[in-house]
Amino acid sequence: MCDLFALCASQHYTAAASLPLFAVRGRQNVHGWGIGYFRRKQPVVEKSGEKVFQGGRLHGSFQRLARVVASPIILAHIRYKSSGQVDECHAHPFVLDFWGQSWIFAHNGKAPAIEPYVSRQAPALEAASDSARTFEFLRDRFVEAEPRRPSAPFLQVFKESLVQLIRQYPGQYNLLLTNGRFLWAFTNHRQLLLLKGSRKLEEALLLTTIEEGLSPENWQKIAAAEGTWGKILLLAGGDLVLTEDLEP
Amino acid sequence: MCELFAMSSGQHYTAQEYLPLFADKSRANISGWGIGFFRNGQVYIEKSCEGIYAGDQVHDSFQRLARVIDSRVILSHIRCTKSGHQKESHAQPLTDRFLDHQWLFCFAGESKGGAAYVSPRPIIDEELLAARVFEFVRDDLLAQMADWPSQSLYQGLAVACKQLITRHPGEYTFFLANESVLFAFLNHAQVLVYHPPKLMGELLVLTTVAGGLTLDPDHWRRYANPDPSRGQILIISGADLLYLGHL
Repeated sequence: MCDLFALCASQHYTAAASLPLFAVRGRQNVHGWGIGYFRRKQPVVEKSGEKVFQGGRLHGSFQRLARVVASPIILAHIRYKSSGQVDECHAHPFVLDFWGQSWIFAHNGKAPAIEPYVSRQAPALEAASDSARTFEFLRDRFVEAEPRRPSAPFLQVFKESLVQLIRQYPGQYNLLLTNGRFLWAFTNHRQLLLLKGSRKLEEALLLTTIEEGLSPENWQKIAAAEGTWGKILLLAGGDLVLTEDLEP
Repeated sequence: MCELFAMSSGQHYTAQEYLPLFADKSRANISGWGIGFFRNGQVYIEKSCEGIYAGDQVHDSFQRLARVIDSRVILSHIRCTKSGHQKESHAQPLTDRFLDHQWLFCFAGESKGGAAYVSPRPIIDEELLAARVFEFVRDDLLAQMADWPSQSLYQGLAVACKQLITRHPGEYTFFLANESVLFAFLNHAQVLVYHPPKLMGELLVLTTVAGGLTLDPDHWRRYANPDPSRGQILIISGADLLYLGHL
């Protein structure tokens, strides 16, 4: 199963301590890796179809990027393919535009039901995977909802989109979506772990799907509540700003 | 009644198109004005106890500041004295540092009980309802976060606002912002939110001025709160209204 990572801070921050640990602890994911962030409002994604950890060593580029990338929000993904080929194009994160801005997206979980989804919007993502189709599906719902902006708050549209997604294409969806200023996280399987003010890693707000967290500290575990379809988190400025259940 | 203004965007903008309109529509308030904004994570506040209008002209400094200040978050307040005196320290926005952020705060409303609140850490020692409201919200939010660190900022703020209107019934509208997120709370009157046509930039403008600031009322969305025992909180970041929560 793939794994997700995010760092969220109020200022530019590197994830030099936590990203290598994320890669080491997620090394069973052998089908690629990617790091996404924003530089002057523009999305930047560096990714690879190679193993993040090989021969007892971290991928050299991953290691260097971890030291160098500085941004208020940094996303990373380590891939274990459940859909699609193993190459750079299928590695996460992905980038699409809607609501007048660029968005970086990463996903873990299996959702084979959505693989046949065909978007009516352009552009389509090149990757042939459930994750790429999931991102297109969400993009399409936001494009349809654009005339309701800003009367309909973002969360309302996001919830409507997720309910449609799960109803039409049942599956496992842990996903991260950011425009560089705030980050939405959604989980309907496994869990998300949060830590702020780490003494061993960065003090910024850290998020991961790695089960034991990235340090021997008190990681807050967040999972979908019973009877709900999932949990939505909003992160901004280094804070957990909002949590909401996704009701059927 | 004092009037409030906020502008939030995904990148640095000036509010030069909107702040003069805000001043014009608030010209009846003669007891001071203030503009607060963020630059490199720091808060800057320029304020005055002079009237926003001198003769038939918007205050010279206000006009110039409106043209020059660029930020992702700009707050402004035009004051009508209900408590305190006409002096610069009573003009808003106010600022304080807590929860790892420097915050800007501005307030409009009335509350007899709220003015009596005594904080263990006053922002200013003078008699000013806005300061007491800010202190109450800050103190209660900090208490919430200390008792339950895993809760979200919104949950903590919602409880603090509920405590405010329960313990000190009154009419409250305030904007509370750090460099990333703007919260707008109201339990009376209205807040209007404007999303300009695309060519005019990706931003949101909020105000308490009835009818909004521009001549295109269709672009203004009105959030009204008729029942003061309840309230609403809007969460805004960049040019997006992210959430509307009801207490």
